[in-house]
Amino acid sequence: MTDFSIRSDNVDVEQIMRQIRARIREKRGVDYTEEEIRELANVKLEKFLDPRGVRSDLLEQFRRKREASLPPNFKFEDTTLFETHRGLLAFIRRLLRPVLKLFFNPNPLIDALHIQSKLNAQQAALEPLYYEVIHNLVLETTRLGIDVKNLKMRVESMSSRLDFDERRARALEGVVQYRPGAVPPLQPPSGGGDSRAPESAEQSERRNRRRRRRGRRRPEERTGGRSGQGAQGAQGAQGAQGALGAGGTPMSEGGEAEPIGEQSDDRDDRGLPPVHRDTDGEPSES
Amino acid sequence: MKLAVAVQRYGADINGGAELHARYIAERLARHAEVEVVTTCARDYVTWRNERPEGVDQVNGIPVRRFPVTHERDPNHFGRQSRRVFDQPHSIADEIAWLESEGPASPAMIDYLERSASKLDFILLFSYRYYHAWHGARRVPAKALLVPTAERDPAIGLGIFGATFRSVRAVMYNSHEERAMIQAATRNEEVPGVVVGIGSEIPARTDGERFRRKHNVRKPFAIYVGRIDENKGCKELFDFFLRYANTFPRGLDLVLIGSAIMPIPQHPRIHHLGFLPDEDKFDAIAASDLLIMPSYFESLSMVALEAWALGRPVLANGRCDVLKGQCIRSAAGLYYERYEEFAETLYALESNGPLHARLGRNGRDYFTQHYTWPVIERKYLDMFDQLKREDASGARRPVESLGGWLARRQRHQRPAAEVLTKIPSNAVVPGSGAAENLSRSA
Repeated sequence: MTDFSIRSDNVDVEQIMRQIRARIREKRGVDYTEEEIRELANVKLEKFLDPRGVRSDLLEQFRRKREASLPPNFKFEDTTLFETHRGLLAFIRRLLRPVLKLFFNPNPLIDALHIQSKLNAQQAALEPLYYEVIHNLVLETTRLGIDVKNLKMRVESMSSRLDFDERRARALEGVVQYRPGAVPPLQPPSGGGDSRAPESAEQSERRNRRRRRRGRRRPEERTGGRSGQGAQGAQGAQGAQGALGAGGTPMSEGGEAEPIGEQSDDRDDRGLPPVHRDTDGEPSES
Repeated sequence: MKLAVAVQRYGADINGGAELHARYIAERLARHAEVEVVTTCARDYVTWRNERPEGVDQVNGIPVRRFPVTHERDPNHFGRQSRRVFDQPHSIADEIAWLESEGPASPAMIDYLERSASKLDFILLFSYRYYHAWHGARRVPAKALLVPTAERDPAIGLGIFGATFRSVRAVMYNSHEERAMIQAATRNEEVPGVVVGIGSEIPARTDGERFRRKHNVRKPFAIYVGRIDENKGCKELFDFFLRYANTFPRGLDLVLIGSAIMPIPQHPRIHHLGFLPDEDKFDAIAASDLLIMPSYFESLSMVALEAWALGRPVLANGRCDVLKGQCIRSAAGLYYERYEEFAETLYALESNGPLHARLGRNGRDYFTQHYTWPVIERKYLDMFDQLKREDASGARRPVESLGGWLARRQRHQRPAAEVLTKIPSNAVVPGSGAAENLSRSA
């Protein structure tokens, strides 16, 4: 999330918004609004899809063809062939229909046309659905293309960060040296006290020697020596503490301390830096 | 000085929109002039049903003269008329029929304004899009000052309003964006105009802790005040906030104040407190971390001004030019246009103490400089003085004719929605091309 440092009295809201947008762009890689995606889906499809596979003007073609080539449909019943609004003619046709049927059988023709008219109606009802499906497919494919591109960029970014972190971890491991004699391993309690006495004597002798050495040092040497000791990791686990630097912050590769400890100290129980307030409840810049 | 304030409905119980704006202005100007409010008997802005008694009444010490509405609004008929004038080529007669169907049609009110015009110095007509403002401006143009309270909706693209905006004596705009939009739509640059806006009755003392105790709100929160309506951008606000809440499980809560006309998502971090009295509302704003204004269309957000007055930053919908412009000019708020921006800006306001404090302080300064009552009153009084000087010089603008019977019925008017798309929409920012307007109004 974006963090802004407000140093002067003047706040430039537009500047802050530019920073926020730049940050979003950085995060997302390529940044498109819904309208832009629609526009891209209509116009620049070939940029995202394989042009050999999909026509970029697919939607437009489909829409034009649909509008241009829709023939009028009509119902076709068994009486349709013989219908007329003239009463006399209808009577004559009805009279002569048996004669007509002597020459050929019109029933299969009537049935076929009846089915055809039903199919036409179904097709007409389905076409808007096809259109919608294709439209949505094109949109979604475009969106997915963009997403894939973004994800590729994010994977690249994350892998470079991972490399960096690994290098950093190795650098830190190189600083921390484990010395087997520095901290004695924990021993299970034993019943006999014989083995302990000579060891204690040896340890106290070592301690006395160390004290004598420290006593001979000048104070400025003592302070310098402590940090050096930490950095060299002379005391095992304490060495790692030394590697964190004086402020308890991890060292970066260049050896500079990053103030992450500060950041975490500042955050409240929401995991956020607090909005500091004056006594009257007003936020302050403290 | 004698003034009349004409508005579509009026009452102490109406607490929002142009009606509240009109009431505040009437009550404030009553300190400097003799003010009478002229309005209808309607209480409901959807039906315009006559619910209040006809005649003279007193509201907070201001005489209010009410006139009956001749017919209630038929929503179906109004819908058909709206589609005709907004979406199809149409005639002037169609637009006048639309105005009639929108209501509140009160010819008696217009007759009264015309009769009493000679005794009045000026008539303030609120809300350009209603019957009383259009007819009032045509019948008494020499006395009419228009307070348009215009939003970016297709009505501004109707041809009949162009003549109104060019005929009145002056226009009191709510914001620089409103003025830029109206001038682009109606070419009324010659008409004196000033960006005034509206003040608010900010209590001298607010107590955020009292609000927290009373409503048992313990955690830090962002607040929304207003009608909870899809048209006010609340659906988008809920979508965005729910996503934000998932991303930041310990972030701000959202407190909603106002009556709901859409379902509110059930979520432990969304608290709807319903309609609250003013004292509680101000305490709530004082207790909040920031105000969210998700509305797409505003001519001026009074609640944003109130938040600024109380030193709270505003997070506004950047697709509303007015709110965006105000955030930029005041340097007291951030804005968003989509979820990513919403999340980043809300997080920035939530987590960055110095930024939050600076924006809050800027808001307070902005309110003090532009929206305190002495500033607002002075702008009105200066405009009256300017117009009186014009009167003395004898300058007059004639009322534009709408054409004869036949001309009014020719379908030459473009669909209003199409006209609206041609009107540029942008926040007016110092240093941009529209800075000239800013400096002129200053």
